[in-house]
Amino acid sequence: MKTFNPDAMGEKLLRRFAGGTSRRGILSRLGLALVAAPAFPLLPVSRASAAKPDRSPEAKTTFARNAQSTDDTKCTYWRYCAIDGSLCSCCGGTLNKCPPGSEHSPVSWVGTCINPDDGRAYLIAYRDCCGKAYCMKCNCDGTDRETQLYVPQLNNDVIWCFGTNSMEYHCSTAVLVGTA
Amino acid sequence: MPHIGTPSGGRGRAGRTNTKGPGTMKIPGKPSLSTKNWGAMNVAKARKAALAAAGLALMGSAAALHASAPLPPDEEGEPITLTAPKANWVYVDRGFTVPGTVIYDSDTGKMLGLVEGSWLSDLAIDPNGKAYYVAETMWTKGFRGTRQDMITVYDANSLFLKTEIAMPGRILIGSRKHNFVLNDEGKTAYVYNLDPASSVNVVDLAKGKFVKKIELPGCASLMPIHGVGFSALCSDGSLATVTASAAKPVITRSTPFFSATNDPIFDNFGYDQAKKQAVFLTYTGQVYTAQLGATPTISEPFTIQAAAGVTPADTKPLDVHWYPGGQQSMALHLASGHAFVLMHMGEYWTHKEAGTEVWELDVAAKKVVKRIPLEEPADHVAVTQEANPKLIVSGDSGDLYILDAETGEEKHKLEKSGGGTIRTAEAK
Repeated sequence: MKTFNPDAMGEKLLRRFAGGTSRRGILSRLGLALVAAPAFPLLPVSRASAAKPDRSPEAKTTFARNAQSTDDTKCTYWRYCAIDGSLCSCCGGTLNKCPPGSEHSPVSWVGTCINPDDGRAYLIAYRDCCGKAYCMKCNCDGTDRETQLYVPQLNNDVIWCFGTNSMEYHCSTAVLVGTA
Repeated sequence: MPHIGTPSGGRGRAGRTNTKGPGTMKIPGKPSLSTKNWGAMNVAKARKAALAAAGLALMGSAAALHASAPLPPDEEGEPITLTAPKANWVYVDRGFTVPGTVIYDSDTGKMLGLVEGSWLSDLAIDPNGKAYYVAETMWTKGFRGTRQDMITVYDANSLFLKTEIAMPGRILIGSRKHNFVLNDEGKTAYVYNLDPASSVNVVDLAKGKFVKKIELPGCASLMPIHGVGFSALCSDGSLATVTASAAKPVITRSTPFFSATNDPIFDNFGYDQAKKQAVFLTYTGQVYTAQLGATPTISEPFTIQAAAGVTPADTKPLDVHWYPGGQQSMALHLASGHAFVLMHMGEYWTHKEAGTEVWELDVAAKKVVKRIPLEEPADHVAVTQEANPKLIVSGDSGDLYILDAETGEEKHKLEKSGGGTIRTAEAK
């Protein structure tokens, strides 16, 4: 199983985040959260594997082997490899936009998913839409490289409504950040 | 967002209990305290009914029906109360869509009461049996307004509110056993917070006061250690130990021993607080034991598959093995040191998949002593701390099963009663 590089993920997300928010409180806490980043495995193994990823079917997870790129209201859509919750595309929103009246969380957990069309791995930010009751449609739970609470940015159970007016969970989007 | 135990979990359905048969017939001569109360009331009612029937028989005509005295109104009685928690009681969080924790008697399968709790709250049971503590979050206007985080204290007998202890924030996640834990014989509480930096609130339950917040970067899932503070698992694969009671808490970390991203330890692990022993299980089935303390020691791992005499699992795609999985994948029976683990066949990264079997692992002997097939795959497992323990499991349907851990025999099936974390009381 090829590993991935959470350090690079963090950097990409931080750049994106820094450009998109002005909430000081959440920023300071996020800064603290990133203090924990050096604790991340910056191991030789992850650097070595980052050099030449294996994208053959033999190297893909069950999810990646069965993923599709045509219907983003199905759990098998490729970007949902580590999503958990209702798909916003079933709740009046889209793949990357919130349903009307709900608010996009500026921070999120992330996944690395393989696009079946080009074989590339992409960094996906699962940004929750917040401030409305649970949508409860198209509930999915992708678990590729999903880990536990002590690595919260790779855990899909946390309510990621930080820096929003409300912490009520409505649905989840899958925002493409860039190649992983 | 949290795991959704019961996707269709409709409002108000979770409290219904449909047992396979009348619980009292199954376990004769073992009424719980609450059934005794009911029994007393029923005897009184039955006596009145019998008298009325006898009266009717004497009268012997339809007209006499109206002539007889009407039923007297029910008298105001004392409210139902509970005893202190018992080893055969189980506490079932109703999951993401319906808040609150239901208490069941696992002998009878009957619901005894409900501990109130807000969305994604966490329950802790006072080891002295006097109170239930709920770490919870609410806002002044429903989900709007000012956020308020607190430990709400309920009397263990009446289940009425005793007091609230305000504190600064907690994680919203649910479905975790180790985010709200008690130490020092129930005098201290640790509450995990993620905002999104991680920290721990220390709360003095005896004084009803928030004491301090300890920053805990990169670590989560708390194991209370009497006389020390707590330990937690960390993203660098180490175990952190925090001297929480010291004026200036010190955090020390063990040598990293597992991979938090490639073969993580399930954060719903097993922990024997009295012995200060943790049993950790990774996604591939590696089992570590840790003796906690100021300087913890962590064992060399073994695999649960080898302990069962089957091929150990790995992290390679396409390799099909037995893997542990679920949301609450392991339960520890403290007296025997046996772990009960939900296992399924599949590939790697299926760590949330429901188990088709429960494997009983003698941790010290490194031996799987029993494999119990499940009628319905389960993603939550708990075990009562009785001498003859029962397994409590629930899966996607939301049905809750109570099984004899020795035989695997189904004692009760409670429809739409599962969903979230299942806790059991420790034997007193």
